[in-house]
Amino acid sequence: MSFHEKSAWVMGLIMIAGMAFYFRTVAAMSEGMEQLAPPVLPLVIVYIVVIVILSILGHILIAITRPSEADDMMDERDKLVAARAGNIAGLILGVGLISALGVYLFTYDGNQLFHAAFGALMVSQIAEYAARIIYYRAGV
Amino acid sequence: MSQAALGEAIGVTRQTIIAIEQGRYSPSLESAFRISRVFGVGLEDVFGWVGD
Repeated sequence: MSFHEKSAWVMGLIMIAGMAFYFRTVAAMSEGMEQLAPPVLPLVIVYIVVIVILSILGHILIAITRPSEADDMMDERDKLVAARAGNIAGLILGVGLISALGVYLFTYDGNQLFHAAFGALMVSQIAEYAARIIYYRAGV
Repeated sequence: MSQAALGEAIGVTRQTIIAIEQGRYSPSLESAFRISRVFGVGLEDVFGWVGD
């Protein structure tokens, strides 16, 4: 498994955990308020900071397991995998955002719009890493 | 020649060489020519294509 494939696994798992944390927190806040909780800046900051820290730690662990590959540049296959996975992520993000905007036109719920848009971003990133893994495993 | 050595010779990772050997990746034309040159043979001596 190449460094970049391992990176995709690590980032995919981190993003899934991060998404679960964020929406579980929003759900808990909403339950307390008996309505959809508004977006909270400290929660977003904690989410981002934790994602960044876990990403750094994860990549350090990957590098330690195989130091010789740690500074591998992306070769032509890595670049192709990244490009195709990025394309898929872009499509998913676009569909997610347009859907969120469409729902807003009917509900006029700004809180829902924010959470939906943020969720679309998370889902698109998870999809990108999943696509990278599939391309690495099954071929591109 | 090892997969790692071939990869280093043509500028790709060992995993990419493995993917080429297993048919999970078709190299660029440049990489294909580089591989052929490493082995000192023609392109069609290394790569083949089964049409539809």
